[in-house]
Amino acid sequence: MNVIKPVSTLPWRLELRSVSKHYSNGTANGVLAVDGVDLQLARGEIHALIGENGAGKSTLMKMVYGLEQPSAGTILLDGKAVRFNAPATAIAAGIGLVPQHVQLIASFSVARNVVLGAEPARLGWLRQAEAVRATRDLSRRYGLEVDPLALVASLSLGEQQRVEVIKALYRGADLLMLDEPGAVLSQDEAVSLFCALRALADAGLTVLLITHKISDVLDVADRYTVLRAGRVVGSGVSAEASAAGLASLIVGQPVANLNMLNTPAPVDTAGGTQARAAARLRVQQLVLRTGTAECLDGVSFDVAPGEILGIAGVEGNGQHLLAKVLSGHAPDAGSVGVGGVDGIEVDYTGAGVRAALRCGVAVVPADRLHDGAAPDLSIADNAIASTYARAPLSLRGWLQPGAVDAAARRMIAAFRVKADGPQQAIGTLSGGNMQKIVLARSLESRPRVLVACQPTRGVDIGAATFLRDRLLALREAGAAIVLISADLDEVLLLSDRIAVMYRGRIAGHFRRGQAEAHTLAACMTGAHSPAHAGPRHSHDAALAKAAP
Amino acid sequence: MKAAMYSLLPRARSMRLIAAIGVALLAGLALMACVSSEPLRAWLILLTGALPELRHGTDGAWHWHRLVRFGTVLEDTVNLSLLGLAVAIPFRARQFSLGADGQLFLGALAGAVVALYWPGPGWLALLLCAAAAMLAGFLWGGATGVLKQCCGANEMVVSLMLNLIAIEFYRLVILYCLRDPNAGFPATAFFPDKATFAPLLAQTNVTWMLVAAPLAALATALLLGRTTLGYEIRVTGSAPDFAHAAGLPVGRAVVLSMALGGALAGLAGFHVGHALLKRLPVDLTPGLGLEGLLVALLARHQPRSVVPAAFFYAWLRAGGQAMERSTDVSREIALVIQALVILLVVAQRWPLAAWMRRLAARRAHA
Repeated sequence: MNVIKPVSTLPWRLELRSVSKHYSNGTANGVLAVDGVDLQLARGEIHALIGENGAGKSTLMKMVYGLEQPSAGTILLDGKAVRFNAPATAIAAGIGLVPQHVQLIASFSVARNVVLGAEPARLGWLRQAEAVRATRDLSRRYGLEVDPLALVASLSLGEQQRVEVIKALYRGADLLMLDEPGAVLSQDEAVSLFCALRALADAGLTVLLITHKISDVLDVADRYTVLRAGRVVGSGVSAEASAAGLASLIVGQPVANLNMLNTPAPVDTAGGTQARAAARLRVQQLVLRTGTAECLDGVSFDVAPGEILGIAGVEGNGQHLLAKVLSGHAPDAGSVGVGGVDGIEVDYTGAGVRAALRCGVAVVPADRLHDGAAPDLSIADNAIASTYARAPLSLRGWLQPGAVDAAARRMIAAFRVKADGPQQAIGTLSGGNMQKIVLARSLESRPRVLVACQPTRGVDIGAATFLRDRLLALREAGAAIVLISADLDEVLLLSDRIAVMYRGRIAGHFRRGQAEAHTLAACMTGAHSPAHAGPRHSHDAALAKAAP
Repeated sequence: MKAAMYSLLPRARSMRLIAAIGVALLAGLALMACVSSEPLRAWLILLTGALPELRHGTDGAWHWHRLVRFGTVLEDTVNLSLLGLAVAIPFRARQFSLGADGQLFLGALAGAVVALYWPGPGWLALLLCAAAAMLAGFLWGGATGVLKQCCGANEMVVSLMLNLIAIEFYRLVILYCLRDPNAGFPATAFFPDKATFAPLLAQTNVTWMLVAAPLAALATALLLGRTTLGYEIRVTGSAPDFAHAAGLPVGRAVVLSMALGGALAGLAGFHVGHALLKRLPVDLTPGLGLEGLLVALLARHQPRSVVPAAFFYAWLRAGGQAMERSTDVSREIALVIQALVILLVVAQRWPLAAWMRRLAARRAHA
């Protein structure tokens, strides 16, 4: 990773000179989203723009792409001042944007998506062969492997993102902006995408990587710029940066919660039989087939009260199905049971979400915009979704507005949600604040088992730290927690034990401190089967070996 | 100054509504100028034709005229309000029910059967008729929901098909079971007095059912906003996947939203039979249900806006009829204006408004 400096005769590919963006509509005093930002991008570099949600990264990106116009300052391309009133002009100037959520037509082939809007045509007829050839050329040249004739619907998210990159390249982009590309990708897919980006940079293209992941800066970028509250608070060469230094720049204070690692380990029951007797959640031989590659194939584990079991794994290896079964959906075979207050285990396999809730099992869904919240409804409406049917929120079928309002206000205060009030639509909150309400709702039912799926995905560091603290507090209070997360660092940070899922099985089972990131990563790809817990071993054996 | 401006912002929506109506009416005037020799007079009649008129009589006293016409506005308002609510409730659960017509017919029929055959005390007759009408609508609406929930049938198709069945069943029963041979045309006998409403306004059919419309709107607003069932309906409609994931009884919410909508359409049938016609003819015209759909659209499915929207719709309709009678402009122009209003109100984005906002922003910038 060589430091890139522009040759003095060559101007920067993209330069921002004290660019500001002021939003005046909505509130009386307006919001200064971007405040006098300077930024320089050279040809052939990967530049990471990092910051928390709301730091101004997206606004900056929108201004460069012509979706927004700066209130002050200049944008220069190759030393010439430009002003983009629409994305079309930005595209014509060689700027490409890969959005965070892919915007492809699922029923079209890859090639047709790539050429969409700029189709090679003769007399109004699409030249299919030409589209396929162009797509194949680009994909070969930059190592963005994808079949031009495949339907987009059949591709994984990582492949779809590659199509987005090819699409931008097809339009002649030599300055590529990627908005949170790692957010929706599995570790593998992210690695292969980043390799492709390196190839692009080596070929002389400029890449602007918008991210809130420190690892992206350290692993991928040549240089970085840190934004906080709309201002540049730091920039430099990635090779000289440290994770701790970046983290403190991003949040503006030393991250106090790294000491979470020092919280006392949970009460450990001695071993085999005793551990089983004390299990709060018991999962036995779950099998579920879906007709796709994703399945559950004999998953078993126990979770004790006051314990966090982290489920690591590349996405699509059955975690999603596991969460569904744990939340009360029926598997094809196997059972899930929850230890009752009186020590008697209740089998709630396939009893439905509501019955699971009654048993004390709450779930934090993976996708808050899709099934974790109703974005158009108010915070209050969202906050009461798991407890509305009971007193004091409702009496004999009538909601009690006072109690509902009080409950929502309590959650807003307890989770330090930045909101105008309980009646604000939850979809207008930032991701972090929205996720706080989602977790607060799950905790409101005082769960004895919490299944948390991607609890901090797409959330800024401050909110993520807060949410993780809440999970740890719940653990201290004696709940059993299943943490399903694609973020390996998060799993390592929070879990007392870690189970790795691979192709619908538990491919490995580790205690805290026993596993290192690279061992887990190897296990996640199926390349490495730890001696003490192979998928062929029975569940009991795995547990016994895992216990010290 | 600036703060005062911002406090106006929440009213932007109602301002937009007024602007939409204004633009549509002006467009109507332009249309009339194309087809009429006296466009302004026709336009004014369209706007004021529904109004009663206070006129000085030959006997030296003041008299109200055209009360009958205003009466029809009020009668239509009741019908359209109930039907608008009947569409709005399922819509809030994201169900596009087109079955209000069939529910209305069956409601009217059930009310008629009770009216003609109830032997008991007279004070109970009207209540029983109303209950029977609402029950019929409830069951017929619920049937759509059950078919959707159990068989995965598309509710739009099912509700339209059930309309045909309901309407033909209505005709069958009137022709072969309830027909009064002395009526001179295929219709039931007049309902006994105990089972009909007395008019409040002479020569009109404006009855105490007039209060049913706002009461039904209030009840719907309470149902949606203040009950657990209403909560389930709203969440199901707003984010079905979330409702499933949160363990809400989604199926029940869907079925009940359609059934409750059906009950209100049944009540509209009761209004037609027991307040307006006092008997049921075999050729009762279908199509009212679709006008309820338009009213619900105009009210943006908000219960509190349904009654004003229905009143506005009925007002234009009466004005249109008056215009047709007294000028050379046909009633279709009024329909075009209605259609324009709905288009402009329902349009998600208004290019004109966006353009004006951009212009204002540019001016503020400069």
